Amino acid sequence: MSVSSSIASRSGAQERMTARERRTRFWQMVQLVPIMAILVLLFGGALVLAILQSLGFAPWFGVNTFPDFSYFGALWGSSTFWVSLGLTLYYATVSTVIALILGILLALALVKTFPSKTFYKYLYKLPLMIPYTVGIALAVLMLSNGGMLSRLAAFFGLIDDPAQFPQILKTHYGWGIIAVYVWKQTPFITLAVYAVLLGIGRETEEAAAILGANRRTIFFRVTLPQILPGVVSSTLICFAFNVGAFEAPFILGGGFPDTLPVVAWRYFNDADYTLQLQGMATVVSIGLVAGVILFGYLAAYRRYERRMGRN
Amino acid sequence: MKHTATVASLLALFAAGAAQAQDAEAAQFRDGFLAGEIDWSAVEARAAEEGTVNLYYWGGSDLLNVWMDRVVTPALAARDVTLNPVRITGTKDAVDLVLAEKNSGKGVGQGSVDMIWLNGENFATLKRQDALFGSFARLLPNAENLEWNPDDPRALLNLRDFGVETGGAEVPWSGEQYVCAYNADRVAAEDVPSTFAELRGYLEANTGKFTYIKPPHYIGNTFVQEAIYAHNPDGNGAEPFQRSVDEIPAEELARLIAPGLDYLRDLEPLLLDAAGGTPRYPEDNAALDGLFLNGEVDFNCKFGLYAVATGLATGSYPEAATQFVFPEGNMIKNKNYLAIPANAPNPGAALVLADWMTSVEAQASKLQQTGMPAGIDGWTLEEAEAQSIVEASPGLVGVTQAELDANAAPDTNATLVDVIEATWLEYIERDSTDPIEAIVARAYDNLSK
Repeated sequence: MSVSSSIASRSGAQERMTARERRTRFWQMVQLVPIMAILVLLFGGALVLAILQSLGFAPWFGVNTFPDFSYFGALWGSSTFWVSLGLTLYYATVSTVIALILGILLALALVKTFPSKTFYKYLYKLPLMIPYTVGIALAVLMLSNGGMLSRLAAFFGLIDDPAQFPQILKTHYGWGIIAVYVWKQTPFITLAVYAVLLGIGRETEEAAAILGANRRTIFFRVTLPQILPGVVSSTLICFAFNVGAFEAPFILGGGFPDTLPVVAWRYFNDADYTLQLQGMATVVSIGLVAGVILFGYLAAYRRYERRMGRN
Repeated sequence: MKHTATVASLLALFAAGAAQAQDAEAAQFRDGFLAGEIDWSAVEARAAEEGTVNLYYWGGSDLLNVWMDRVVTPALAARDVTLNPVRITGTKDAVDLVLAEKNSGKGVGQGSVDMIWLNGENFATLKRQDALFGSFARLLPNAENLEWNPDDPRALLNLRDFGVETGGAEVPWSGEQYVCAYNADRVAAEDVPSTFAELRGYLEANTGKFTYIKPPHYIGNTFVQEAIYAHNPDGNGAEPFQRSVDEIPAEELARLIAPGLDYLRDLEPLLLDAAGGTPRYPEDNAALDGLFLNGEVDFNCKFGLYAVATGLATGSYPEAATQFVFPEGNMIKNKNYLAIPANAPNPGAALVLADWMTSVEAQASKLQQTGMPAGIDGWTLEEAEAQSIVEASPGLVGVTQAELDANAAPDTNATLVDVIEATWLEYIERDSTDPIEAIVARAYDNLSK
């Protein structure tokens, strides 16, 4: 009798809990509706259309051969696609890595106390407020063969003609592109890492120092694992942006072979509008490549977290 | 770009189910006007009623944008029409919009584009898709400022646009000729080339001091066409390139264009920055002007009859810039036009705008303020009117009108331009090892898809 009543009361409590849970779940869903509507309708709808078009569905241009994999076949079958993909990933990776190293160094410097720290804390954020295109324009004004540096060099007689200035922009090494990305993304990564650093405090580092660890060991064994969430989230965003960005490689890049977003733009911009389908196949390919890489990156990070015992 | 295309296609998809409807009243107006049953005062009354006209045009020239705001807007306001200038980065954006709206079932009176400034491939596309308002040009009161007699060879540029018959569906707005300029501070007068062989000779001595705008930009395409004309193995220049792809077999076209493309391929190692590995082709006019102004290249070839005079006035050209005749006998001359799309929302106002744009007053002020040559034909005008056009001209620098006329050549047929551009991209940019015959055949296949 007493046993069964206690069971009954416990199951009643469980039911009440699930009812409350259900209510919270419901409110969570309600709160998600606006963002889901945007994601599903605008982003998802555009994605579905892009995939349909890349497979030959464009009746508004008088083209309808759905499903037709020839656009992907032509794209992936040409060696220039793979060169373009390599260039895209090269610019994205190199600039993210450089920005990450600089960002961590800057964040570590900022947690220390030094004179006029407040001023520097504002100063480093300046590029965050300036658009990419302005950064690109600055690069053109300063670094190009017609830019300030080359003109000054010619003026002071270091070179006879501005055209002799060593070429920094418009090469496939992409120094101009990388410079703009690093300039813009270092503060972003600094911001993310600095916020995490403030959250964790300095006690663990001090403990490690007292226990006799040198600075190198402290960074790699104590600090880095703790700031990793900030590192992963900020590099993820930077890398995803760099893979899909168009302006910098278009204006500062070395011409053919172009990065994939520029290739896609060239197809869209051609007077022959049927090439838009080829352009859509390029866009979908960018999405696929970026998606796979970012998914792999996140999965690796999750595995690491789980091994560390975090969930 | 990606987004506009996606949004446009999204619109198209959602509306595709809608029946092919059109504004019955606007359609009646269109049919009446094209049949010559509506007189001009009724058109003007309708334009005032519509109240707005949406002109889509390439907004890359500050001089032109200012002219639109300062001259066209007040002129139309006097006719109770508000000009809505839509400045686009590429004419193709407007063509895409018209086609997307047309395919979503929007007919006359319902679209969003009243008029587009265009020529060549963009007009050919609209015509192929049956997306034009109709044969309006000769019905405008100012049509008398243009030569329409097909027996007069001078009427060719009004009747054909890149070899495609205009059929009066667009009205000439500006005339242009492909003219090169050199920087006299850097090039001695006796070294100025007048043939492609001499250009090569100059570049062998001064490597890297020349480049041309990258096809498929139409200015780059035009340079390639001139090289092809000059190297035509039959020696008859532009003549065989007036036919469309349907009239000229792929093997024949390949034979005709091969020497010109081979010349351009061999020229690559002598172009700007080629010493550093890959030659650099600027993307547009502004980029080439920058290279020329900065002394990175010694020549600047583009559609710019008065480019040197206006460039000197605005400071975008080096002070010693001078025009010269190049290449002899093959300086491509064409016109650009104003077209009314099939789904123009304000057809009456569009007609009034088209008529005003072809007036002597508009043409003279456009020439004076923007340096864009007149699109109307001087010999059809009264003496005082013709004189006002001559006086408005910013002037030629280093060449005479007679020299330019003597070396003029017609443009290439728009359908061949597609093939030539695809071949350039494949053969020169991508360094394809395939023979030109195979590349041209492939371009033909893609085009017929």
